Amino acid sequence: MNTNEAKSAIFDSIRRNLAESLPFDEIHNEHKAHQSKDEFDEVISVLPSRSNLAESFRENLLSIGSNCEIVEDKENAARLIQKIINQRKLKKVAVSDAELISEIVNSLEIDGDFLRNASKENLFETDLGITSAQFGIAETGTLVIESDKEFNRLASLVPPIHICVLETEKIRQTLGEVLRELEKDLSRSITFITGQSRTSDIELTLALGVHGPAKLHVILIEEK
Amino acid sequence: MNQLNAENFDQNARAALKDTTLRGALRNLAETFGGRRKTAIASIENWEELREKARLIKDETLLHLDKYLENFAENAEKAGAKIHWAWDGKEACQIVLELINAKNSTRVVKSKSMATEEIHLNRALENVGIEPVETDLGEWIIQLAEETPSHIVVPAIHKTKKQIADLFVEKVGIEPTDDVDILTKTARKILRSKFAEAEIGISGVNFGVAETGTILILENEGNARLTTSLPKMHIAVMGIEKIIPKFADLDIFLKLLPRSGTGQKLTTYQSLITGTKQNADGEGPEEIHIVLMDNGRSKMLAHPVTRQSLACIRCGACLNACPVYQQIGGHAYGSVYPGPIGAVITPQLVGISKTKQLPYASSLCGACREVCPVKIDIPELLLHLRAEITDGEANGKKSEVEAKGKFAESLAFKAYSIAWGNIGTYKLGTKTARFMQKSVVKNGKIGKVSNLMAKIAPPLGNWTEFRDAPTIAKKSFRDIWKDDLKKE
Repeated sequence: MNTNEAKSAIFDSIRRNLAESLPFDEIHNEHKAHQSKDEFDEVISVLPSRSNLAESFRENLLSIGSNCEIVEDKENAARLIQKIINQRKLKKVAVSDAELISEIVNSLEIDGDFLRNASKENLFETDLGITSAQFGIAETGTLVIESDKEFNRLASLVPPIHICVLETEKIRQTLGEVLRELEKDLSRSITFITGQSRTSDIELTLALGVHGPAKLHVILIEEK
Repeated sequence: MNQLNAENFDQNARAALKDTTLRGALRNLAETFGGRRKTAIASIENWEELREKARLIKDETLLHLDKYLENFAENAEKAGAKIHWAWDGKEACQIVLELINAKNSTRVVKSKSMATEEIHLNRALENVGIEPVETDLGEWIIQLAEETPSHIVVPAIHKTKKQIADLFVEKVGIEPTDDVDILTKTARKILRSKFAEAEIGISGVNFGVAETGTILILENEGNARLTTSLPKMHIAVMGIEKIIPKFADLDIFLKLLPRSGTGQKLTTYQSLITGTKQNADGEGPEEIHIVLMDNGRSKMLAHPVTRQSLACIRCGACLNACPVYQQIGGHAYGSVYPGPIGAVITPQLVGISKTKQLPYASSLCGACREVCPVKIDIPELLLHLRAEITDGEANGKKSEVEAKGKFAESLAFKAYSIAWGNIGTYKLGTKTARFMQKSVVKNGKIGKVSNLMAKIAPPLGNWTEFRDAPTIAKKSFRDIWKDDLKKE
């Protein structure tokens, strides 16, 4: 059948089978009546919960083996990044178009190039990707990047190291809160990042950096 | 390697039991994932409530599946995605094929998708000269080995490090090694070159949100992100049961699935994709096609017990908890979906006649029901299917040998119910049994009986193959009671 015929067939089948189920549903629902129909709590709590969102975020990210530091301002963030570039002698760095990142990168020195708007070919040659994020989720140490708000988010995926700079005021406690905010203006593509790329496909042994970055550094800027 | 099928489950299971390497790997799986799951769910204050909520959402969705599917399709199309409908696996493969041909390309990469395994998509593409490259490490390993996945989440769990290393040496040409990092880096390098030139990316879908037309794909490796961002065309294959009503519902399922499946609070990456990019020089594919597939799913709506099969979010927790799966692994089931969930959906997807043994591949211990994040009552389902099988046989839908066997069985039960229904024949029956057991009781128990005895009483023969049978007490309780009363 073609796609429209298939659609009709599927919907017919759904309605027919649901109708067939009706007599059984009543009996079955009686048996399962113990399931409470009470109001559930709005928020599902993830333990432990801390009042300081930045601390909570940092703790959760550290617990899965990523790096996370809290600094006072952009200058300190830039300093940290410069250290990483120097220590590892990085040459090609892909950067996103976030304003925060542009400002920081303008103050950095490199024996190589910062690539804004890197092409696909160049992206595969890079040593490092620097992006910001639109939200952080404290309960899991998750970064949230929206494609319509920040371009070149492949900088967070293709290079072997990813540095993300995030203002702490963008961190929320729960995933639920962030979903509610995202929903107001859905980007075509939203990515949640929690830690480094990993796999346990070989004998359940942890291996990092299968496809995405093996190293993730998150720098939180907590302006006082 | 494995042309196993569900009809030979019995043989396959026995063969698997002899494979000590496999059993070691499975024990590791059960302990590791079981332990991690426990730790992860302890981080949720109201885990049971969460499961309950998820199940209610699923029930509501399935009861109005047509409405939610319609919503999803509408919203996805509004955002720029193209929706395709496939009645069965063959049609789904056909749609994918046509899309690829329209692009005039053969450079296809795939991220992990059980739905595409179900419809044997890779085979359909290979038959016409298109070689889709699996990019999930586990899937790539079994693709090299020309095998099928043995677990929903960790497809190559049945392979040891050494077997994988040997495979790489043979197929990819590296130096022998037992370093997992080196093996991983090798895979990364090779697959990245495939990503660089890929023009079409095929993925599955974990959840489809009706309210917004969003599809969500979760993973740990990053290959799904690459598959769905780099190529110009993205094709997503999705079972119609993957729909959830609201965007906010994602919170509940994202809290349940990673904890249940791998014991993580969240998998490393989630991609939430809603339609296509808004401007031409933005990142991401130019086209996204979502193939909505039935392939036997709507039939399961016909009864509340079978309808819950469609609540499954493919986390794999039931496999990790199942004492049967733990002993024999996934291939012995001879079906795309193994383990407890496989045992209940395979007969429904593929038909009972070829999968009769699967609903019996269980001791009904209920471990699966305990760990299922959406509270699917798998034992209830198994019993439902067993009843269907038996009823089907009562209607004469089986082979002659089985017919004779079933007739003998129902005759035996009839005789038993008559004899035990009358106090006189009951007493005579137990007295006779007490006398007859003397020939098989040794040292106070009935161990493995002789071949002759096994022929006379096949149930006893089967039972005592691996277990002692209980003996009948020397004196019945009634007699003991009577005698002691007499003494008073």
